Amino acid sequence: MKKFFVILICKMIRFVGKLTGRGSSLPGKVALRLCPDILTRVQLPKRIIAVTGSNGKTSTVEMIAAILRADGQRVVYNNEGSNQVDGVATAILSCCSFSGKLDADVLLVESDERYAVHSFRYFRPTEFVITNLYRDQLTRNGHSESVYDAIAPAIHPDTKLLLNADDPLVSCFAKGHDNVKWFGLDRCTLSSDAPTGVYRDGTYCPLCKAPMTYEFAHYNHIGAYTCTGCGHSRHDTDYAVTDADLEQGVLTIDGEVQVHLALRSIYNVYNILAAYAVCRECGVSSETIAQVIDNYILKNGRVVRFTIGGYDGTLLVSKHENSVAYDTNLRYVAALKEPCTVMVILDAVSRKYFTSETSWLWDIDFDLLNTPQVEKILLVGQYCHDLALRFSFTGIDPEKVEYHADINALAEKMKVEGAGKLYVVTCFSDRQKFLSHTQKEA
Amino acid sequence: MNCKIIHFYPHLMNLYGSYANLTVLRRYLELLGHSVDVVTVAPGEEVNLSDADFIFMGAGTERSQKAALRDFRRFADDIRTLADSGVPMLFCGTAMELLGKSITDEQGTYEALGLADFTAVQSARRQVIDVYGHTELFDAAIVGFLNKSSVISGVERPLLTDCALGWGNEKSGGGEGVLIGNVMGSHLTGPLLVKNPRLLEHVAAIICSRRGEALSTPLPRIPHMEESYIAAEQQLRLRSEK
Ligand SMILES: [Zn+2]
Repeated sequence: MKKFFVILICKMIRFVGKLTGRGSSLPGKVALRLCPDILTRVQLPKRIIAVTGSNGKTSTVEMIAAILRADGQRVVYNNEGSNQVDGVATAILSCCSFSGKLDADVLLVESDERYAVHSFRYFRPTEFVITNLYRDQLTRNGHSESVYDAIAPAIHPDTKLLLNADDPLVSCFAKGHDNVKWFGLDRCTLSSDAPTGVYRDGTYCPLCKAPMTYEFAHYNHIGAYTCTGCGHSRHDTDYAVTDADLEQGVLTIDGEVQVHLALRSIYNVYNILAAYAVCRECGVSSETIAQVIDNYILKNGRVVRFTIGGYDGTLLVSKHENSVAYDTNLRYVAALKEPCTVMVILDAVSRKYFTSETSWLWDIDFDLLNTPQVEKILLVGQYCHDLALRFSFTGIDPEKVEYHADINALAEKMKVEGAGKLYVVTCFSDRQKFLSHTQKEA
Repeated sequence: MNCKIIHFYPHLMNLYGSYANLTVLRRYLELLGHSVDVVTVAPGEEVNLSDADFIFMGAGTERSQKAALRDFRRFADDIRTLADSGVPMLFCGTAMELLGKSITDEQGTYEALGLADFTAVQSARRQVIDVYGHTELFDAAIVGFLNKSSVISGVERPLLTDCALGWGNEKSGGGEGVLIGNVMGSHLTGPLLVKNPRLLEHVAAIICSRRGEALSTPLPRIPHMEESYIAAEQQLRLRSEK
């Protein structure tokens, strides 16, 4: 009976939330408060797929859901609330029947890296995808090895792991685990001979700290590594992107499946590959997958096109406190051929908590913007001086760089002055402060 | 003059933008009219420390710290001699813990260099918090951020005598870091010398005075550094007064 009431209350809170236009994790939070073991009392589908990692979780999960649905499978996933246990509970309880049966073929869970262990106390994923682990939100998460230590206890021995073979730290999860499938990107036009970036987390082995060597790297420390001490090295892949051409916007999976990229970023390549790998493991044909992800446009708002005054703008979301996310977007902008203005906004470091922590700016490779077609750089927001200080230590011509503490004043000015291509690189926390002044493109 | 800076383990110990402490110090010394050589040392590499003007090691993960310690022990005598003769040094984050007597984690206890009598005990529990505090070195407040998994006990002379906001070595509000003569250790990120122009000037002043060089007046300023400090100082002071 208790189960019935908890589910009822959860559904009611969600209904009211929907009326007032707010999707949140509150229903699940209340349900867990009323009945802490509610998730063990509900009947979940046989297949539970979980996805975690520093970057690409939301995009990967969105594509997995789209593919599985195209294959005729009924999917429930936590696309409204948070990726912590409250959000997962909200998704499950608001979709299950009053008797507690989740009428779906697949439960798909985007899981926060640090709190995976809390979600998976109540149920165990059959497939667990780990995309990558890098320096991310140090203020909250600590460094990537501490995130690794937080995920490891959440992995059940019976769970099938799908690991990114190109990430030396993620690959460590395979130690002592039998059931592992690997995905990775073969050497292709975008690869370099050695890791890139301001810092080199691939210099030393995550297991023994002996020096590592690289046969090639795709970005930062993601690539084909071998430890000179313990032999830890890139594993052979079960699913591989065999060729990727970001300039043409095409990638090939396993030598035969061609996919066009709506977003020509290396992240998108890995997210597509991870989604491909897990869906193949779930028995979906490569034809079905290719149909869904070919030119797939993400709905999660990571890329927004807009206009302001004479500017034709594109906003790329780059979580603050995540240097690899920034590097990826900066590399994307640097690879463009036409002249442009680049805006970096840092007004609030986080939307969830206050911090004045800006040391992560020194981990970002802003020198990527040191190319002729980037004609002007606007550093904007409360922390524009932290940005300007950081930029004064790049090779970028100071004449190109302007700083503006007041976003609103700058937006008003841009409505009447200037024109051309504009790329805005910023975080969820600051995105709306500028976008609210712009016209969204239909 | 030509300054020689020794940078220990730049790739192994480089969390939280630590390297930028040296980036700004180098620029500052250059603005003072000096030339600067930065000599990097990787584990196993030989280096001559005898004529060093400044020694630096950045923050690393707890595992990287143990690897750094395994190599750094061979420099224990040299470092102690240089510290006794007043050579300024900065050890950031987990590197600070190498200066104490020992470091303990779940696997065991590791003997450290023993420049001071403190001990560090690491656990899975992390302190992650903004810091606002004061030092005996000058009047201006020190700002930064702390992300550490250790409790440090037995520090006689902390770098920050109090933390109005944030965690100290052992507890909320207590002293943070360590001062051993001109050797500084601190878990503060920022990076410390980037966020705190007074501390940068302090370090540069020691480097110059040991070489008998007077500082030029007025002191040079790195553009945007003061503004960045003022912004953080105001925000953190407000929060420390709550
Ligand atoms: Zn190794």
